[in-house]
Amino acid sequence: MRWLLAGAIASSLAISFSLACSAWAYDFTVDVRTIGQGYQVRGYAPDGSNQLLTRRRITQYLNLNVFDIEPDRWKDPDGGRNNLFVDVSLRFDTDFGGYTLGRPTGLDAIRELQQNQVDILYAIVGGRDIGGRLDFQLGRQIHFDLVDFYSFDGADVVLRAQKPLVVEAFAGTEVRGELPLSSPVFELDGTSAGSRDPATRPDQASELRPLAGAAIAVDPGGATALRLAYRRVWSATADRLPGEPSSGVNDEKLSLTGNAGWRDRVFVTFGVRYNLLLAMFDDQQVGVRVRLTSRQWLSVEQAYLAPTFDGDSIWNIFSTGAYRDFRATYELHFAPGVKANARGFVRVFESTPDETVAGQDLGAQAPGGRLAGGGTLGIEVRRARSFLRIDGYYDDGYGGRKVGADLSARYAVYPGQWELEGRLTGYGWRSDLQPESNRGVVFGAQAGSRYQLAPGMRMHFLAEDNTGTLYRSQFRGLALIDVDASL
Amino acid sequence: MQPMQLLGAVALLGAVAVTLLLPAMSHGEAARGPSPLIYPRQSLPLQFDHAAHAARGATCTGCHTIAASSAASSDDLMPGEAACRSCHAIDRTRPAKVTPPPQPPARCDACHPSWAGDSTAPAEPPRLTVPFPNIKFNHQLHASRGIGCETCHAQVAKEALANESDLPRMGVCLGCHTGGKQPTARCGACHLTLPDGRLKVNLAIGGAIATAQTGKLEPSGSLRGFDAHTPGFRTDHKAAGRDMSYCLNCHRQSECLDCHNGVVRPLDIHPSDYVTLHGADARRNTPDCSSCHRNQTFCVGCHQRAGVASDPSGGLPGRPVQNPFGTGTGVKSFHPPGWVRDAAGEVISTPRPTSHSFQAKRNIRSCASCHREETCLECHSADPARGVKMPNGAGFSPHGPGFAESSRCRALSARNRRACLKCHLVDAPELDCR
Repeated sequence: MRWLLAGAIASSLAISFSLACSAWAYDFTVDVRTIGQGYQVRGYAPDGSNQLLTRRRITQYLNLNVFDIEPDRWKDPDGGRNNLFVDVSLRFDTDFGGYTLGRPTGLDAIRELQQNQVDILYAIVGGRDIGGRLDFQLGRQIHFDLVDFYSFDGADVVLRAQKPLVVEAFAGTEVRGELPLSSPVFELDGTSAGSRDPATRPDQASELRPLAGAAIAVDPGGATALRLAYRRVWSATADRLPGEPSSGVNDEKLSLTGNAGWRDRVFVTFGVRYNLLLAMFDDQQVGVRVRLTSRQWLSVEQAYLAPTFDGDSIWNIFSTGAYRDFRATYELHFAPGVKANARGFVRVFESTPDETVAGQDLGAQAPGGRLAGGGTLGIEVRRARSFLRIDGYYDDGYGGRKVGADLSARYAVYPGQWELEGRLTGYGWRSDLQPESNRGVVFGAQAGSRYQLAPGMRMHFLAEDNTGTLYRSQFRGLALIDVDASL
Repeated sequence: MQPMQLLGAVALLGAVAVTLLLPAMSHGEAARGPSPLIYPRQSLPLQFDHAAHAARGATCTGCHTIAASSAASSDDLMPGEAACRSCHAIDRTRPAKVTPPPQPPARCDACHPSWAGDSTAPAEPPRLTVPFPNIKFNHQLHASRGIGCETCHAQVAKEALANESDLPRMGVCLGCHTGGKQPTARCGACHLTLPDGRLKVNLAIGGAIATAQTGKLEPSGSLRGFDAHTPGFRTDHKAAGRDMSYCLNCHRQSECLDCHNGVVRPLDIHPSDYVTLHGADARRNTPDCSSCHRNQTFCVGCHQRAGVASDPSGGLPGRPVQNPFGTGTGVKSFHPPGWVRDAAGEVISTPRPTSHSFQAKRNIRSCASCHREETCLECHSADPARGVKMPNGAGFSPHGPGFAESSRCRALSARNRRACLKCHLVDAPELDCR
């Protein structure tokens, strides 16, 4: 089945390219980026001794965008109608260091260590504004909104039936790390790739996960929109045993998101997500952004999040708590190119009924307590040839204390040709779980250079060294070559 | 309902109500100058009064003669001296020519202040600099549809010298360009675009005239509020990103994945030695790790390789634990005392403030960055033949009070019983939530 899916993706691409050949005018852009990194991370050998694991990483991106596929006669005078396109992003990521070369093998192999992996991040054949009403995407695609994100191989169709009404339907199979050429980052946590215990059903990872959903939206344009979306992901039971269900739902969510604006001054956004698998609201976001004056903004947000997992995971049972955030951000544009902001947050971990034992609120007495909070202060100065940014931050409470500052700068020696950059960082931290043994300070410095070899071709070098409680010196090097060509 | 839940519900309902009500109100215009990236600054060493001319019956097209037939914003629509001559009796040989009232003045310095036009003055008066705007506009198309000059340049007829501040802002355009059956709402219809249709954001501040400086076109927030590219936008753009198609007007989707499918550390988001610092952020989940990483591949893989995470039972039943934190020597104990076992090594059956259960209930994602489900089943399985039990032989149930009667139990049991069967036997009566 996996290879069938890979074949389907390849076929989609082949069809799209063959379609492109029949047109007489199409263009494409190619972005090829090669990133090399070398550094070390601290680890522990099985006997408890310290060891340094070397990482020598190469990451290769290939992004291809083909457009203007449609014949000219399809276009309207504006050029924005009946557009067909192909958009593909591929990535190869590997590590030649001891981190992977010396990793455990055989029975001790760590299956979560994904290396030498080629991923199709997305690969879409799409159409925009077809007949003035329809958008579609076929292939591997990524979707997200205020309270949800997911990736699937399949089809998505958006119909603008009658303005402002928009109807959307999509179906396919969820992209999971277990599939060939697939990155796991958009699948839910819960069932680990490395599970080996039969009780945790590692065999279930081999099953495809069909996904289907629909949405209806009111979108009059501008800052106002309202969208109701539903999505369900399920899978057949692998190696089914007597008494087991034939299938199970991995994810099922209903979400409502919306936003509105008033006189370019007041903007509201909100999202709420109901998890049908667990019969609970697991995500809520509300934000209001107000332009106080032409140079001042104030944003106030409230967020609620209850961590939830893949429907096959028992962690949906263990995770009964939730937290609520209150955040405020003030932004001031001192002058053209000079911006400052101040941001603060308070997080409240909600109490669950079983946290009170014999009249005592044990949850409040737990390490870190029930509260966390903090803030940042930052200022940014942009000039024609230079950029300077200074940030300071302080967080405390649940999770530990973190205090630090960061100064970064960039200067164009020859604008558009050669830039220098640097960064100084210093911070201290203290764990709330083990405050006496898990604390320290780190100071870091970075220096780099970006050089344009030719139009669309850039090189970027960066060196970083850190020193602090855990390291006398920790050096990291990065080199990047980016070729971005339009043909 | 707890006070916090009530507050959240009120906030949500309020937001829904405001969302439904606000569309009835029209777009407004903030009193601020236009972006120099769209309308580069003009230099107008000229003395002119539109209001006075309009009061005398002058029309827009009487002076800006080619405006109504202009198809490109790069057309020069400024009236030349010939347009002035239709009323002003200009005589270049007599720069100080005096005209009797009510005839309009003909002196050079009547329009070119401090340029006398005599031998003491430079050969020519200071020139106007009117850079091309960095947008597309077709005056002819708009005029042919009956859209009068004052629709977009409303203030000009009421003021003296007009400048870039009198050019229409985006809000004026969006009064008509709403899409659907109305004129297109596509950003690229007005903004300059790259060959692939994305907006051209690196623009010359001086337009075609002065290209020494460039700037980056970024949303100011006047259109959607949360889209303003503020200093904190790179780490806090969830509200703006809710509409991907809007972002794709300027960005490629691959730009999202540079961070949100992260294998290369963004240095401005995770500066310096972030590996040392990340524990506090991960426990608090600030920023949300899952927006770029999957705990059970990215985190578990590294934690196990580095010997920080315990691989339960050494990876397979009967095999010894493979890392120093799992040896329980206390030398490298990752968790504080009292996390699972007491000082005597017995599993704690009554919760204490240091018990792991409180942390797991709040943010089990941080647990999932090291542990697999096997770890939990060691004690929490209801299978009588499995793992550690309480002194009375019962398992350590993770279900809170009233779970069996809850809608959560019924929903989960009905939709995916496979999860239940990891702990419970297939014929267990509790699977039916009774």
